Amino acid sequence: MNSDLTVEIGSLHLKNPLMTASGTCGYGDELEDYFPISRLGAIVSKSLTLKPKKGNEPPRITEVSCGMLNSIGLANIGVQRFISDKLPVLKRLGAEVIVNIAAKRADDYVSLAEIVAGLPEVKGLELNLSCPNVKEGGLEFGSDIAALGRITDLVRRVYPEVLIVKLTPNVARIGEFAKAAEGAGANGVTVANTYVGMAVDIYRRTPKIRSITGGFSGPAIKPLTMAKVFEVHNAVKIPVIASGGVFGWQDAVEYLIAGATAVELGTVLFRIPDASTGILDGIQSYMVREGLESLRELIGSLKANLDRMPHK
Amino acid sequence: MELSQVLGTRSLGGNLFITRFRSPNIAFAVLPGQFVMVSFEGVLDPLLPRAFSVCDVSGEDVFLFYAAIGKGTRMMSELRAGDMVTMNGPLGRGFPDVSAGKMVWIVVGGSGMAVVPLLARRLNRRDAKFEIFSGARTESHLVHFDGISTRDATDDGSKGYHGTVVDLIKESFQKDKPDKLFACGPTRMLEAVQSEFGGTVPTYLSVEAPMACGMGFCQGCPIRIAGGEGYYLACKDGPVFRSDEIDFGMGGDSE
Ligand SMILES: Cc1cc2nc3c(=O)[nH]c(=O)nc-3n(C[C@H](O)[C@H](O)[C@H](O)COP(=O)(O)OP(=O)(O)OC[C@H]3O[C@@H](n4cnc5c(N)ncnc54)[C@H](O)[C@@H]3O)c2cc1C
Ligand SMILES: Cc1cc2nc3c(=O)[nH]c(=O)nc-3n(C[C@H](O)[C@H](O)[C@H](O)COP(=O)(O)O)c2cc1C
Ligand code: FES
Repeated sequence: MNSDLTVEIGSLHLKNPLMTASGTCGYGDELEDYFPISRLGAIVSKSLTLKPKKGNEPPRITEVSCGMLNSIGLANIGVQRFISDKLPVLKRLGAEVIVNIAAKRADDYVSLAEIVAGLPEVKGLELNLSCPNVKEGGLEFGSDIAALGRITDLVRRVYPEVLIVKLTPNVARIGEFAKAAEGAGANGVTVANTYVGMAVDIYRRTPKIRSITGGFSGPAIKPLTMAKVFEVHNAVKIPVIASGGVFGWQDAVEYLIAGATAVELGTVLFRIPDASTGILDGIQSYMVREGLESLRELIGSLKANLDRMPHK
Repeated sequence: MELSQVLGTRSLGGNLFITRFRSPNIAFAVLPGQFVMVSFEGVLDPLLPRAFSVCDVSGEDVFLFYAAIGKGTRMMSELRAGDMVTMNGPLGRGFPDVSAGKMVWIVVGGSGMAVVPLLARRLNRRDAKFEIFSGARTESHLVHFDGISTRDATDDGSKGYHGTVVDLIKESFQKDKPDKLFACGPTRMLEAVQSEFGGTVPTYLSVEAPMACGMGFCQGCPIRIAGGEGYYLACKDGPVFRSDEIDFGMGGDSE
């Protein structure tokens, strides 16, 4: 017998907790070469901006131990071309689409949300308030609690469907940011975007990527993001979507136990584009082995005495 | 994407190796100039797959030719027969086809030789004619494959023409010109080929860029569009570009 893997984020019903992470599978349709994307809980688009963006000058990426740094600079085709060229393909392939948006100004977040609001193919919006690599990425808003609350509120007024705020981990008390998003009406929070990181070429004595610092992702960040997911889970009632270093099914289960309702797959897709297939099988077998009928029994089931935490 | 078994590795001296894999789907489908992304089973460091041109095929087998210069390539050179890797490919756009009787000059620098054997096979099948110009710093840096003859150039004159391979071609151009020019090697060599010959002969360049995915997923491998705005992706739009399609300069968002 199979266990029930469905989850809910606000009114959004997902067939399973696996989503793609923004910017790690093109626009999502490219994944179909490797497996049927209709099997995913949801596809999250690359961060879309009002106008197309070329992105940062190379080199944009470098590998570090068990992870990577990127400074893509939100290179994307712009919201309009996404809607005309990509959305129909994603719909035909049967994908559940969540659109991720990024902007430099509060007004632009609102304009983007208005453009997306009328589209029946789009099931939700993820606000990128956390890109470490460009001014447009919203990090300025994302690391200022009041600004984050204000933008979430403005978007909430024009966007009636499921609204998710993607948080930056580069702050001291991420729980407070999650509370601000919740207070402004977000239906969920994604924890988290990449960490600011850096790597140096010791022979040339130059930074390994052109923007000097970049976003650190991959298995190396998983314990860091695990702690943030747990912190946010304890701070808010809305669902938490974990994003950080998932490679195997065990990583996904670990996040679910720590309080995540869904899990995004990012860097792993560069190496294993069909990773979701193995991870789903792994979660399913684990559930059966552990005698769990529904993911609801697993989510946030960590057995721990919070009083033992040195700083809560 | 296939799990490929290592059949064996041959050292070609220095840090150069050829590894043979059983990889039937890729062997069947690959075109000259296309590449594969190789990742190591159960290993998280190196984390990302590594890009290699498919050097040659034989039946169900694929040969990769590489310089062991870092973590991933060294690990590859130490694989034993029977070990498994995951190979994603064939990826990207390779060299254009050539019709019978036409002459192609192939310019290679260093481990750029990796693309030659498979390319030579196809050109022979097409009854096209070709010549290979191979450049390196010294004789010991020149790469030779059995049965493939090259016209060599070395910076120090220790073998063949004394000078760069680009100079050698410039000289040869005074007597003769090919119908097409293909180039694979370090970016500096590609830039020289582009500026010297790009305007004279239809020229195709196989470029390299750091790659995380090889599939167009990450936007990590931008190559500037010639004269225009924005970037191609080396992995998806290339790695082979017509010389007049690309610029080697910078050119991102300026703000
Ligand atoms: C389309 C394509 C085809 C390629 N084909 C071949 C081939 O047939 N044979 C071959 O020997 N190599 C080839 N390369 C280069 C090869 O991918 C790199 O040498 C390899 O990724 C290095 O991995 P590593 O773990 O050994 O080195 P690392 O430990 O990752 O790096 C060692 C050093 O090499 C540099 N480096 C890393 N990746 C690249 C890269 N992609 N290009 C240039 N420098 C890099 C690093 O900055 C560092 O200085 C190809 C690259 C591309 C993009
Ligand atoms: C190459 C690359 C590009 C990314 N682009 C975006 C983006 O456009 N928008 C965004 O919100 N997050 C972006 N991210 C962050 C990922 O969505 C994800 O949150 C982060 O990488 C952590 O997860 P991971 O360790 O599983 O990759 C990007 C990450 C990478 C590696
Ligand atoms: S290597 Fe990822 S897009 Fe080219």
